[in-house]
Amino acid sequence: MPSWPEKRSYIGSLAKRVDAPAKVSGAAKYSSDVQPEGWLYGMILRSKWPKAKITKINLEKAARLPGIKAAVLAREGERIVRFYGEELAAVAGLTKQACLDALRAIEVEAQPLPFVVREEDAREESSPRVWDEQPNYSRPQPRDRGDVDKAFGECAAVVEGFYSTPVQIHHPLETHGNTISWTGDNLTAWSSTQGISSVRDGLAGNLNVPQNQVRVICEYMGGGFGAKFGPGVEGALAARLSQAAKAPVKLMLTRFDQALAVGNRPSSFQKIKMGATADGKLHAYQLESFGTAGIGAGSSEGGSGGAAFPAPYIYTVPNTRIAQASVAVDAGSARAFRAPGNPPASFGMESIMDDLAVKMDIDPVEFRLRNDPSEVRQKEYRLGAERFGWKQKYKKPGTSPGPIKTGVGCAGARWATGGGGTQAQAQVSPDGSIEIRCGTQDLGTGTKTVIAVIAADLLGLKPEQIQVRVGDTNYPPSGASGGSTTCPSVAPAICDLCTNVLQELQKHSGLAEVRGENWLAACKKLGVDPLLVSGKWQEGLSGSGAGGVQFAEVAVDTDTGFVKVKKITCIQDGGLIVSKLTCESQVNGGIIMGLGYALYEERIMDRHSGVLLNPNFETYKLPALADMPEIDVVLLDMPERGVIGIGEPVTIPTAAAIGNAVANALGVRVGSLPITPAKVLAALGKVDKPA
Amino acid sequence: MKSFQYATAASPAGARHLAGDNGRFLAGGIDLLGEMKEYISQPDILVNVKALPGLDRIEASTTAWTIGANVTISQLEENAELKRVFPALQQAAAEVGSKQIRNVATVGGNLAQHSRCWYYRHRDILCLKKGGDTCYARNADNKYHSLFTGNTCISPVVSNLAVALGALDATVVVQREDKPLRWSIAQFYAKAWENPTAHNSLEPGDLILKVEVPLAQQRSAYLQVSEKSAFDWALVSCAAAAKVEGGKFSKARIVLGAVSNVPHEVQAANDLLEGKVLDDGLAEKVADLLVAKAHAHSENGYKVPIARALIRRALTSLAA
Amino acid sequence: MSDSTKQDCLTVSRRAFLKTFGTSAAVAATAQVEAVAEELQKANQEKIYGPETVPITLQVNGSPIKLQVEPRVTLLEALRNHSHFTGAKEVCDRATCGACTVLLDDLPIYSCSKLALEAQGHAITTVEGLAENGQLSKVQQAFIDEDALMCGYCTPGFVMSVTALLKKNPHPTAEEVQHGCAGNLCRCGTYPRVLRAALKAAGVPLTSQTEVISYAKLA
Repeated sequence: MPSWPEKRSYIGSLAKRVDAPAKVSGAAKYSSDVQPEGWLYGMILRSKWPKAKITKINLEKAARLPGIKAAVLAREGERIVRFYGEELAAVAGLTKQACLDALRAIEVEAQPLPFVVREEDAREESSPRVWDEQPNYSRPQPRDRGDVDKAFGECAAVVEGFYSTPVQIHHPLETHGNTISWTGDNLTAWSSTQGISSVRDGLAGNLNVPQNQVRVICEYMGGGFGAKFGPGVEGALAARLSQAAKAPVKLMLTRFDQALAVGNRPSSFQKIKMGATADGKLHAYQLESFGTAGIGAGSSEGGSGGAAFPAPYIYTVPNTRIAQASVAVDAGSARAFRAPGNPPASFGMESIMDDLAVKMDIDPVEFRLRNDPSEVRQKEYRLGAERFGWKQKYKKPGTSPGPIKTGVGCAGARWATGGGGTQAQAQVSPDGSIEIRCGTQDLGTGTKTVIAVIAADLLGLKPEQIQVRVGDTNYPPSGASGGSTTCPSVAPAICDLCTNVLQELQKHSGLAEVRGENWLAACKKLGVDPLLVSGKWQEGLSGSGAGGVQFAEVAVDTDTGFVKVKKITCIQDGGLIVSKLTCESQVNGGIIMGLGYALYEERIMDRHSGVLLNPNFETYKLPALADMPEIDVVLLDMPERGVIGIGEPVTIPTAAAIGNAVANALGVRVGSLPITPAKVLAALGKVDKPA
Repeated sequence: MKSFQYATAASPAGARHLAGDNGRFLAGGIDLLGEMKEYISQPDILVNVKALPGLDRIEASTTAWTIGANVTISQLEENAELKRVFPALQQAAAEVGSKQIRNVATVGGNLAQHSRCWYYRHRDILCLKKGGDTCYARNADNKYHSLFTGNTCISPVVSNLAVALGALDATVVVQREDKPLRWSIAQFYAKAWENPTAHNSLEPGDLILKVEVPLAQQRSAYLQVSEKSAFDWALVSCAAAAKVEGGKFSKARIVLGAVSNVPHEVQAANDLLEGKVLDDGLAEKVADLLVAKAHAHSENGYKVPIARALIRRALTSLAA
Repeated sequence: MSDSTKQDCLTVSRRAFLKTFGTSAAVAATAQVEAVAEELQKANQEKIYGPETVPITLQVNGSPIKLQVEPRVTLLEALRNHSHFTGAKEVCDRATCGACTVLLDDLPIYSCSKLALEAQGHAITTVEGLAENGQLSKVQQAFIDEDALMCGYCTPGFVMSVTALLKKNPHPTAEEVQHGCAGNLCRCGTYPRVLRAALKAAGVPLTSQTEVISYAKLA
C-alpha cells in the first residue's frame, strides 16, 4: 500500500514551479502559439441578431477571396439563432487579414425575431419566448422542510432582504481555441482545455473519426476556470476547416467572441427571509430566487436548472422553504464557473446572516460560531478573527467617523473536492533520468510541480531531476481538471507510481536501497532498456471536503462611493499540502477573482438591441494590481486528511465578506453585486431619482 | 481592420492632401486603431503625422508653455517642471490609460479622441452619433453618460487633458487649410454641444498643432473618481485652477469632465469665488451652480454627488 | 482616392511644385533652387504604402527580420503570425490588457496597437530577448523565485513592463510598481507576487507572506 513519506523535503515546501522558466522566457508554447508547417488562420462569423431565423448563408464570395483556403457553415439549412454571437460560419486563410475580409464577404439572409435579454423582462408573461415550447420562467414549487410558517412565529428576530449577483464571465486570458492538423485520417489538436479527453471524444464524435485516431495535446494553457471542457463549436469548426483546406488551422477566439459564446456564471436574484430564536440560533429560512443561465436554462419546475444554488448553503436551519428557478434569455449559455452556484449562494446567505446578527445585536463572528455546524470552520473563525484583529476592527455598523468609513465582514465556504481515477506512467532510463507521463492538465494550478515534488521525495531525488510531461491523450488518462479534483487525483497516483518504481527498481537491480544516492547505481543495472512502470490513484491518500473562512476590511469613501478593499485574511483547509508555493498562489487567485465579482464584474446586455454591451476589458472590468488589498493567507496543515483540492473553495466567500464589510462600514446594505460607487451612493440616499 | 494605404506627412499641407476625403491622421493610434478594429472607422489611407517638424516639443517661455500636438502623454507626465508649474495638467496626464498607452498617445490625439460610449463603440449598433436616428443610451444603459447635453446624444467627453487645459485657460492651435485657428478648450469642443455626430469642433483635414498654456501664477489640481483604482475611465473628473493669495481666490476656473458632451464649466461658479476665502458653505454654493442644470438619466444620477465631492476637494487642495 | 490623385502623391514633379511656390522662371537664384530641391525631397518622402503587402524590416532582440506585410498588420501580428516570436500574447487586441507588451526603444507599448510598419527603425525587445547567454534576467529570475505566475499567459507582458520600469527607475516604491504595471491584467491572480518579484528584482528585502499552521495544534 502506498503512503505519504514521513520525511518530506519537497512535499509541503516552497519548491519552485517547475515550468516557471519556460513561461518567463516565452519558450512555453500554448495552443495559440504552435505553428505547424503551412498553418492557416481561422475565424468565425457570428450572428449579429440576438434572435433570428437564418434562411440563407452564401459563402461563395468569401471562399473566392485571395488567401482563403476553406469556408464552412456552422450548421446546414435553415435555423434559428438565439443569442447575439451565435456561430454561423467559419473561414480559414493564409492571414488574419484575409479572414477578416472573408467574414465581411459572407452574405447572410435573416429574419429578425422578437427577443429578450434581461431576466426581469423574460419573467413577464408577455415576454417573447426563448424556446417556443416552454415559458422563459415558471414559478417554482417551493420545497419545505419542517414547518417554516410556524417557525417564523417562534423567532425572536426576523429579517428580510433582497440580494443579487450578476452574470460573470470566465475570461481566461488565453481564449478558447485549437490548432488542428490532419495526417491522413488522424487528427492532432493542440487545444486550450481543462480536459484533453473531453476534447478528443468530442472531436471524434463530431467528425466521425475513431477516438484512437484523435490526439489532443495541451502542454501549456492560459486558464479555464471551468469553461474549457469539450472541443466546443470552435473546435469542431477548426477541424472541419483543416480537413477542407488540407492544412493545419489555428482558430482561437477573439476576446469579443469570448465574452459572448463560451460560458458564464448564472446570475441570481434572491429574496430571503430568515429568523433566529433568542439564543441566536437560526430557526427559519425562506428563499425565493431566480437567475439566468442564458439560453441554456434548465427546467423551471421544482428549482432545478442552471441558476440553482445550494441553500441555506453551509448552515443547517431546521425549518426551510426553498423555491428556485432559472429564467431563459437570448444570451450565451452558462457553463461551470469556479465553484458553480457557490459564490451566489454564499453572497446571499452570508449577507442575511450579517443582517440578522446586526438586528439581534450579536457580533457577526459570534453569530457564526453559534450556527456554523463545521468544527473545522469554527476553529478557522477563531484563528482568523484573532489574526485579522476582528475585535479591534469591528464597530457597530456605520459608526466609523469621517467621510471615509471603514468596516469589516466575514464569510465561510465549503467545497466537495475529492479525487480519483488518475493513471500515470514512469520511464526510468539506465542513466538515471526519469520521465513521468500523465494525461492530466496544468492550468497554472501547479500540477506539474505537484508531480515533481512527490516524485522527488519518494525517490530521494530533486524536483529538477524529474521530467514531467502532462497534457497529451497519448499519456495515461487522468480525468478533466474541474471540481478542484486534480491534485487529489494526481497526487495519489504519483505516490503509487513512485512506490511501484522503487519496487520495480529494487527487483531489477537486485539492490535493497535504490533511493537518493543509490539511484544512479540502481538505474545503471537496468542495462540498455528503460524501465516502464505504471501507477494509479489509490484510496487513503486523498480526502474530500474543503472549507475555509475569509475576513475582509474595506474603506468606503461615502462622498464618492469608491470602495477600497484594504485587507483580506483567509484561513483555509490545506489537507496534506503538496506544493506550498503553487497552493498559496491558488488562494490568492481565488480571492482576487472573488474581489472582481464583488466590485467590478458584470455582463451587460442591452435590452433594446439585444447585444452584449461590454465584450471587452474596457467595460468588463477585471481587478488589477492597483486594486489589490493586503492578502494574508493561512493554510491549515491537516496531513491526516490526505491531499485535497483548493482551487474553488477559496473564491466562494470573498464577495460575501467584502459585501458584509461594506454594509458594516456604511450602516446600510448594498445587496447587489457588483458594489459600484453608483450603488453605494444610492444606498446612502445621496442620489436623486431621475427627473 | 479594413485594408488601407499608409503615408507619412512631411508638412501640414501634405498631410491634408494625402488624407484626401477618406483619410485619417495617425498619431499614437490607440483610439484610431481601436475604432478601425471594430470597423467604426474605415479610412482608405492613414496619414502618419508624427514626423511633422516641430510638433513634438515642450517649450517654456516667460509667458506660456507651448506643448506640441505630438508630445506624448508620458512626456507630460514625467516633466518635473511641468508638474511644478501646472500640477493639474501633470496629474491629468498621469491618469491617462496605462504606461503602455501614455508612451505612444499624444496630446493632440487625447484631445481629439472619439466617444467611449459603449453604443457608439459597438460594431453592430448604429447610434445617433454614427448617423443613426436613436441615442440608445437615453433609455437604457447610461451609467457612464452625460448629465448635460445640448442635443440628443448623451455621450460625454472623456479627455482628461481637456479638463485640466480648460481650467488652465489653454489655447489649442489648429491648422485649418492654410491658416491657424486659435481655440479655447470650450471652442475646441463647442460643435459637440449642438451636433450629435460631432466629437469636437474639428473638421476633416484640420490638424492640431500645439497647445499653449499661459503662465498666470495659478495653483491647479486635477482629481477623478473611477470604479477601479487605475487604468479606468473617470466616472467624473474635475480640474480647478485659481490664483490664491492670502487665502483669497481670484480668476478661478473649475471644469468637470465625463459629465457633458463638452468640458463642463459655469462662469457664475467661477465668479462666485472671486476675492473670497474658501469655506465649506462657499464650496457647496460653487458646486450647486455647477450641477444646477444636471439632468440625470435612469442610471447616472450618482455622478452629481461625485461631482460635488470632487469640486469641494479640488478647491480645498488649492486653498491649502 | 482616384488613380490620378494617387499619381500626384507618388511623385511630385518639379514643375507642379514650382507652381505651388509661385516661382516664375525668371527667378533662379541658387538659394531658391536649393530650397526647392529640399522641399521636393520632403514631398517625395510622403510615399504611399499599400494597401498590398510591403517589405518591412524589424529589429527584434538585436536581429533584423524581413517580412512582407500589409500596412494594417500590427506589430503583435507580425511577431506572432508572420514570425516565430510567440512570447507576446494576443489577449484583447484592444490596448486594455498588456499581454502583448514589448519594448520599443526601452518604452513599453502595446504591440497590438502599433502598426508593424511603424515599428521599423526602432529597437524592439520581446520576452525572448531578455536572457543573456542563456542566463535569465534578474526580473525573470525574480518572477520564478516569488512564483509571480500561474498559467503564464500574462507573464511575458508583466515581465516586459517590470523590466522597463526597473530600467527607468531601479528603486521603485510599491506605488510606482503599481502605477507602472497598471496596464497589465492577470486572471489567475498573480498580482501580489508580481509586486514582490518587482521589488525583489529591485533589491528590496522581502518578508515571507503566508503561513502554514498545524490544525492539530489549534485550540
